[in-house]
Amino acid sequence: MSFLESRRNFLKGSAATVATLTLSKGVFTAIAQANPRQEELSFTNTPKTLSFYPSLEEWDSFKELDGDDWKRGGIDRKGVQSEENPEGIYVNEYIIVPTVCSNCEAGCGLTAWVDKKSMVVKKYMGNPLHTGSRGRNCAKGYGTWSQMYDPDRVPFPLRRAPGSKRGEGKWVRVTWDDAMKEIGAKIRELLEQGDEEARKQFIYHVGRPNENGFGARLPHTLGFDGYDSHTNICSAGARQGSIQWANDDRNSPDWANAKLIFLQSSHAADAGHYFQQSAGYIADARKKGAKLVVIDPRLSNSAGMADLWLPLWPGTEAALYLWLANRVLNEKGKNGEDLVDHDFVRNWINWKKFMRNREYLNFIKEKGYIKKLPKDESYESFIELLKELYAPYTTEFVVKECRIEGQENKLEELWEMFIDAGDRIATYLWRAGTIGHRGGWMNTRTGFLALALRGALRGDIGGVSWHHWHKASVNGKWFKAALSNGKKPPKVKVWNEYPWPPEYPLSTYEMSFLLPHLLMDEEWKKKWRARGFKIPSRLKVWVPRMYNPVWINPDGFRWIEALKREDLIELSFNLSPTWSETNWYCDFVLPTGLAGERHDQQSEPTKPEKWVAFRQPALRVALEKMGWKPKDPTRATLEAHMKAGLGEIWEEIEFWANLMVHYVDPDGKLGVKQYWASKEDPTRAITIPEFYQAAFSLLPNLKKAAEAAYPKSKYPCYEFMRDRGAFTEETNIYKPQEREVQFDGENYIVHGHKYPKDEVIIDEDGVLWVDHHGHRKSIGVKIGDKIYQGFHTPDKRLDFFVDWMVDYRWPEYAIPIYPRNEGERKEMVHIVTQVHHDYLKGDNEFALNTIYRLPYMIHTRSVNSKHLMEISVNHNPIWIHTSDARRLGIRRGDKIRVKIVDTVSGLESGYFVAMAVPTEATRPGVLACSHHAGRWKLKNAVDIPGFQHKLGVLGLGAPLYTMTMDGKIGKMRAREGIDKGLKRRPETWQFKEINKDLEHIWWDGLTGAWQNAVAPVHPDPIAGNHAWHHKVVIERAKPTDRLGDVYVNYENNFKIYQAWRDKLTRPLTEEIKYRRPMHMPRPAVPLSEEAYRNPMYKGREGA
Amino acid sequence: MEARPAYYDLLSRLFIGEMDPETLRKIEELPNFKELFPTYYSWEERQKRSRSRLIDEVLNVDYTEIAIMHLIPYESFYRRDDGMIESGGANPVVQIYNNFGFRVDLDRARVVSPDHIGVELEFMKLLTQAHEKAEAHGDREAVRALAREEREFLRNHLLQFAPLYLINVAEQARTPFYRDGAKLTLEFLLEDYEYLNRVEL
Repeated sequence: MSFLESRRNFLKGSAATVATLTLSKGVFTAIAQANPRQEELSFTNTPKTLSFYPSLEEWDSFKELDGDDWKRGGIDRKGVQSEENPEGIYVNEYIIVPTVCSNCEAGCGLTAWVDKKSMVVKKYMGNPLHTGSRGRNCAKGYGTWSQMYDPDRVPFPLRRAPGSKRGEGKWVRVTWDDAMKEIGAKIRELLEQGDEEARKQFIYHVGRPNENGFGARLPHTLGFDGYDSHTNICSAGARQGSIQWANDDRNSPDWANAKLIFLQSSHAADAGHYFQQSAGYIADARKKGAKLVVIDPRLSNSAGMADLWLPLWPGTEAALYLWLANRVLNEKGKNGEDLVDHDFVRNWINWKKFMRNREYLNFIKEKGYIKKLPKDESYESFIELLKELYAPYTTEFVVKECRIEGQENKLEELWEMFIDAGDRIATYLWRAGTIGHRGGWMNTRTGFLALALRGALRGDIGGVSWHHWHKASVNGKWFKAALSNGKKPPKVKVWNEYPWPPEYPLSTYEMSFLLPHLLMDEEWKKKWRARGFKIPSRLKVWVPRMYNPVWINPDGFRWIEALKREDLIELSFNLSPTWSETNWYCDFVLPTGLAGERHDQQSEPTKPEKWVAFRQPALRVALEKMGWKPKDPTRATLEAHMKAGLGEIWEEIEFWANLMVHYVDPDGKLGVKQYWASKEDPTRAITIPEFYQAAFSLLPNLKKAAEAAYPKSKYPCYEFMRDRGAFTEETNIYKPQEREVQFDGENYIVHGHKYPKDEVIIDEDGVLWVDHHGHRKSIGVKIGDKIYQGFHTPDKRLDFFVDWMVDYRWPEYAIPIYPRNEGERKEMVHIVTQVHHDYLKGDNEFALNTIYRLPYMIHTRSVNSKHLMEISVNHNPIWIHTSDARRLGIRRGDKIRVKIVDTVSGLESGYFVAMAVPTEATRPGVLACSHHAGRWKLKNAVDIPGFQHKLGVLGLGAPLYTMTMDGKIGKMRAREGIDKGLKRRPETWQFKEINKDLEHIWWDGLTGAWQNAVAPVHPDPIAGNHAWHHKVVIERAKPTDRLGDVYVNYENNFKIYQAWRDKLTRPLTEEIKYRRPMHMPRPAVPLSEEAYRNPMYKGREGA
Repeated sequence: MEARPAYYDLLSRLFIGEMDPETLRKIEELPNFKELFPTYYSWEERQKRSRSRLIDEVLNVDYTEIAIMHLIPYESFYRRDDGMIESGGANPVVQIYNNFGFRVDLDRARVVSPDHIGVELEFMKLLTQAHEKAEAHGDREAVRALAREEREFLRNHLLQFAPLYLINVAEQARTPFYRDGAKLTLEFLLEDYEYLNRVEL
């Protein structure tokens, strides 16, 4: 111990001379004991236990010491503030109102802490009663507070100024009733016209819905096929694979109990779908010893802390999954046992259907997938066939295809983890891999194959199940409280080709990102009209809802072109809490509420249970609890927000109900009013308590608990959820497909329906079929001597073989498959990524990875939060691997032009100028630049005639740009950063006290470019989703270039849309009866059989 | 003996926060500076920069490494099985401070919990100062009681973790200033503990 050898005798001799100094900081203070008064005794500086939330009984009145003062010495020193003790610590008295976050899709619980004195929400915390989020939130949840008090929030309804054009930025203030009158008249016009075309001229275009069922009901109650989701730019690739396997929209893992967390991209653990909740469960699993694998070209936060990071070439993941399948099939365990879970595969995979189909088996033999036909139709022969089918996916192949040369050892590690985990493998195949690429959906097909072979798709503890068993949706089920007295609107009888064009019959969701292209494509309209499709020439009403397609969709200039055209879109209004690039081109901006300012029911599959949560306007609930009453109970949210000084902020349920009842169908003749008027008083719209009493009472356990808790209430279910904000209807939902179908001797009973045994046919695969309005519908499956409810596919099993893919002319992809060589990649181009390394030849050609989420930002929705902006928008460089940067002589901070080139048409789209950052956190050959930054505005603030203040525009999150566009070329250049813009605007007036720190805003937002403008659309020919990744060519920027510059040839982008559509799709033909397989429901509006019919169909009826 | 409060004073200051030019000047002007900080004394980087530049560019960067980012100067971190810092009232040193009528101003100290090495060293300074005063007043009983407290506090708290932490600093600090400072502190603590064991209590 060298320390002891050199002892220096400090306490003797000269060493003692330090005695002359006084250096220490003086951090100790003497305790001056205040004399606590009796009522202060409830406060203590040293609680015995720490609980983050008071108990529910205290929520209506909870006293809490002000946090800042507490740190300065606590009540022992200062006492509690009172008239006699003005220096004491301030005590807040809160009403704690539960609500639900509305930033990402996870639906985590929130509580709004409303200060009773000021009626200001002082903070948002989590909701401890929410069993999914468990009282926890990510930064975006807490960011709700600064979003609420955004100095630039839209304070009242705005209308484009009369005489001005869309995009000129001239606005006037109107009332909600002015807006409803104009909008109502337009919708009424369509209803009165009433023909097929009229019923396709309204589109409600929804960003992330964060509610379960209300939105789809809007067009439904109007009889319109008019719903566009954002899903095809979001996650439709993943969903396509899930629908093919299970006819279920997405999978649902049991993270907390898994032994292997198998992630493709950073989603789930650090950014994406359901992340805050999933991350918590993943952490729980890891604490118990689970391994974490992250497959991602980018070193995300998750990859950084994973046991194994596999930076595959983006879009080639399917090759890896089939390699896993090959090894599971062709290798043995340590004791010589099979690695396939035969019990699960034999019973729950639809192999019989596959093995019986000789025609198809011959087809795959001709394709070269297999060399010989199976000797019989047995299960053993099926397994033998699989062994042959997947044998080519060798280690050598996968190393080359996924470009992981030199990392072969990682494959072995993966294999060991995969096998060691048994059937406890949890995954959520989502976003990047599946939405980034053409054929990305095959990731889910192949990934789930590997899991199915190991039994991990059984939905048991620690494995993977399917989403809709793990959520409860009642937000569209209010009709019991409506004049219709429980009657739902009939199925809609028309099919709208704008969301669902004939080229994309199997599209997972609506082709909403093609809306401007289709509206402006007269040739396309002409072509399909000639074949009997009644495509209207224009839309009369387009309603984005909390949505900003101009900025977040690809090909933004095309959106602007279309939105400016009043001959194509007659009326547009955005129901939006914030300014956005899209609002700028709408006729109305109608300010609806944020997470603590609106009602929605939300439930999400974040764990194997069914939790439901209730989003609420906190100020309204607090005011009502304090005795305030609205003048008009159907407009209570709007009135409460005005009363509390938030502004004329409304919510959708009250808005739509009032619009329909008073302006669209006031006398009820058009058949719409009955769904929106109150049963209690048909002269008015339905109220929120009526609405949610009807909806929540459909959940039996919730209803029971509510009636017990509020025995005297008229609306017990509403009040129960108003006070708690969350309820868990069912827990531990495992192996739900194995729930048995009841048989009472005469009838089979499924979900409360009785099917007489004589009317049930059991087919050769054990599937129970009944007649359902002229169609066959399956209700269960017999396996052994039991009848199970099964999965949601028609054959009630997981579909390895998808027969309807054959019917819709995609037979080569009806089973999980991936091309094995360059020749096959050319032939099977539909499932080969557009950024495959085959397409990148030059030294400066790269794949661009754009779509990873940032954990503290959410697409276009968080631009109004100074807190979230501060931790996110300061910088968005383009990541380039150090070896690539060295080769090209690019250094940190260099400006580069990133030119996007299409690999189908060969056309160039233009470029954006970005700041390069060489890093080893992306793989060689792949650039990364999140498309979540690069917001813009064209004016810093707008004048409203007659209103004393200017309205600031996106002051916290968007720099000021100049834009030019001529119908072919669009250009953008930044004029002024966020910091400078705000400093020039001392007139910022809203929520001044909360925003007195604006002068400290330091971020300029100038290093993110609006790359989505350059991006052409890449509609996947099968799943229909936009494939986000791009081939790019980079070069040093020119001396006159500035960061954030955008140059777009959107005329070329239009040709690229046409190329992807015309070269890659297989549209409907005369031989196909329905526009989409009948069993594959359209996601939002329910349609009649008549609507499904293909007008070109020439085959025989009943086929 | 009279040097003990001063040593605790100096050592507390070393670890409680970043250096500042005035403090550094005072340290460098100590008559025994060379003996206390031998490698730092002859370090050529010190000659190349002004005190403020040296602090901004080198010393404070190092401080961040050894006291904020990489090494954790809190007793509870070293002593709890889960490696967490006990920042609430359950931290055992709080009760001891309370017994003497002291409370730590965490904002001023800029630490997250009162068992930071800098705070504990400053607490020792307060005890030794009191000890000195008691000596001056000839209050033998108080002197004995204080010496017992000092020895207990060293044994039960500082010496339970500071040696580990200081050895880590001595090995991982990038600058001779903190390497010397860590060795100095460790040696002083051990010697002071021996002293307290020697004196008649």
